[in-house]
Amino acid sequence: MQEERLAIHLKERPSQLLEAKNKGVKIIGYFPGNYVPEELIYASGAVPLCLINGGDSKPAEMALSVVPQVICPFARAQVGERLLGKNPYYSMIDMLVAPITCQHLKKVAEVWEYNGDLEIFKLGIPHQHNNDFELEYFNDRLRALKDRLQAFTGNEITDEKISEAIVLYNRMRELLKNISLLRCTSPSLLSSLDFVKLNHASFYADPAFMVDYLDSVYHELKDKQQVTKTETPKILLIGPSIGYGDYEVLQLVKAAGGDIVIEEICEGVRYYWNKVESKGDLIESLAREYLVDRVPCAFMRYSTRKRLDFALKLIKDFAVSGVIWYELLCCETYDAESYFFSQELGDRNIPMLILESDYSAANTGQFRTRIEAFIEILRGVME
Amino acid sequence: MIELLELCGYGEQEIESELPRVEKAFNKLGITVDDIERGKQRLNKYYDMELKGVRKALRLILRELVDALLVRDEGVKNVIYGFMAPGFDLLSSALVTKSKDVFSIHHSWAFQIFIGCIFGKIVPILEEAERKWLKAGMVAHCANLKTLVGPLTLGLYPKPDLLVTTGLLCETSPKTIDLFHELYDIPVWYVDACQDRTSGEYPEPSERVAISAAKSLKRLAERIQEVVGFEITDDMLLEVQDAKGKMGEAFDRIRDLIATSAPLPLSPAHENIWMCLNVLALSINGITEATDAVNLLYEELRERVAKGLGVVEKDAPRVLATLPMGQTDPRLEHLACEVGIAIVATDRNIEASIKEIPEDPYLRFGIGMQLGAMHVPPTMRIPLLIEGCKKLNIDGVLDRFHVGCRAVAGDALLIDNAIKKELGIPVMLLEWENFDPRVYKHEEYKKRLEIFKTMMLANKQK
Repeated sequence: MQEERLAIHLKERPSQLLEAKNKGVKIIGYFPGNYVPEELIYASGAVPLCLINGGDSKPAEMALSVVPQVICPFARAQVGERLLGKNPYYSMIDMLVAPITCQHLKKVAEVWEYNGDLEIFKLGIPHQHNNDFELEYFNDRLRALKDRLQAFTGNEITDEKISEAIVLYNRMRELLKNISLLRCTSPSLLSSLDFVKLNHASFYADPAFMVDYLDSVYHELKDKQQVTKTETPKILLIGPSIGYGDYEVLQLVKAAGGDIVIEEICEGVRYYWNKVESKGDLIESLAREYLVDRVPCAFMRYSTRKRLDFALKLIKDFAVSGVIWYELLCCETYDAESYFFSQELGDRNIPMLILESDYSAANTGQFRTRIEAFIEILRGVME
Repeated sequence: MIELLELCGYGEQEIESELPRVEKAFNKLGITVDDIERGKQRLNKYYDMELKGVRKALRLILRELVDALLVRDEGVKNVIYGFMAPGFDLLSSALVTKSKDVFSIHHSWAFQIFIGCIFGKIVPILEEAERKWLKAGMVAHCANLKTLVGPLTLGLYPKPDLLVTTGLLCETSPKTIDLFHELYDIPVWYVDACQDRTSGEYPEPSERVAISAAKSLKRLAERIQEVVGFEITDDMLLEVQDAKGKMGEAFDRIRDLIATSAPLPLSPAHENIWMCLNVLALSINGITEATDAVNLLYEELRERVAKGLGVVEKDAPRVLATLPMGQTDPRLEHLACEVGIAIVATDRNIEASIKEIPEDPYLRFGIGMQLGAMHVPPTMRIPLLIEGCKKLNIDGVLDRFHVGCRAVAGDALLIDNAIKKELGIPVMLLEWENFDPRVYKHEEYKKRLEIFKTMMLANKQK
């Protein structure tokens, strides 16, 4: 019943948005990775849409007419979706907020800018924050984004509106976190696939609807919660962005009898773990939370140790038996970091499986075999 | 060995005094008698060894390579390495001018030229890096980084007191030095700036980006001061800047001469020698020596031009290449000459002009990093290339995309489309790795270059 409610909402969402757009509401897309404060877009009266489609080889291949294969499949998929023009979300946006994060997404923003058919705001993300001027820079860029949004939408962004947006999104993140934590003791309550889908839905759905929906899901699951001892190996998933539709690994793990109980990905822990401070200078709060306080993505400087420490904490807290490292082809930072993680986890006798995807259907067979073998290893370790 | 040193511009007395050091350094690198023989053959084949300016430049590069390998043995107190770090060479030159206790270099350049281009032995180094975290295959890790990881993990180079990089156009380099810190306990530092200029701001450099880059470089200077124990003053940097300015003018004269002369007076394979000279951590005296070498070469080339001599036919089609020349392998550029194509310039030397260059050395860096065609988004890069092609009367573009670098490779297809559409000249798109000789496929490249030449000649006759 719950799922049906969300499915109907998502089905109707494009037409709702088009209707709003026709009435003058601006639809503002942004790229994932957790560096664009959706609160600011929401506070401007525009609709924030996280452009996160991935997993389908067709858009990624389509993009090869514009960018070479060394750009990762997720980034290429963003280019391809816009070229194909079949996804209503990608066609309806009035403006793009492009965080300058990794070179891949930066290149997508540059290609879209070159095409010249869309208003683009490049949001500079300092790749480190140990010097005071870096946080200051991000603060200034958020203020510039605020100004641009005001001019673009014609709406004033007041502190009150930002505060309301922070409260709303904090609630959404809190609910996602609460739901996720239920899996710590009862992994069978909600599969990783279902959880990631919920998280993805939050990027497209109306946030107020989503909060209400997540609240009911949380209470329903909480009522069903019971502490169970399971023989199923618990797995931590680590990776960059998992696209909306990039569900193959999650499905294969489930089918092979493993439970991914926590996801250290852009659309997982990194998104919902913290809340934004809703008092004081709100732009500063957003800047601090988005740049400094969140678990960093692999492209950030000095991030390797922090990311390892956080992964080790998750492994301990969720009683994880093994790690699946899911990276996208040509993602150089995750690939380099996988070497370090496999050594560190190996020293601690924690098995790690590295999977690299280019969204091709040809992955499936070898992924299945490797995942099945990995889960067998984990079972062996558990015995 | 003596013949090799003579080819590299060493004088008789210098050979006598330096030979033991060079031998010791080469032993560390595993350079054998056979390698030296091959090195001499390659020098004579791919480079114009009759030009004294070339020899003098090679001498400076070899000297730095030897110094780098022996630096700890010879008791130098502080060793600092930069990698992919524009701005670092300025600080380095100031450091080595001030103190003999400091050795500060961007060591990969000299290494790439001698181990790659001259001895043809870079592959085992790349393979070593591939056994670490820069694996081979479709992930396409940059082989430039592999020439940092390979020598350091093999222990060819001594462990530095500080390893510096920038993330201006690259994520692999910062992640790599982060791993050096974690796995080898090497202190590291990053210079950064956000590349967030948008189309309304081009072609003017963004003040906010420049200030942020300048602050980041200034913090690096402060960090280096902690390591070396003395202050890097603005005066020191201005002195280096002034000396480097003169060297830059000398390079410009050579580039102009090459770009405007027919026949092409010098093979483009030499370009990486100039690039290397430009980033060596030379003291003020060293910069003067380098400038003399470049000026000498200019005079030698002028003489060639006056005599109508060149490395291709006079009416060879004129080509602009994207990216610098192969940095560990001169064969593609050599082949282009053999086929009869004149690569007269690269986009590395095309940049936006600005009204005023700031005096402040840090701010100058912040502005400078926003001007070059290779360092800007396609919305700015492509018009710069088109303008460059028109100005240089270019017949075709060799559009190489270095697969290891997302920042530059990402534009290759857009450049291809835009040049054909705007200028109607042929473009040869080449998937490429600037630092990995394993990509070189002689027969395939030869055929493609021949077809490219035919297309350009046919297009000219239209």
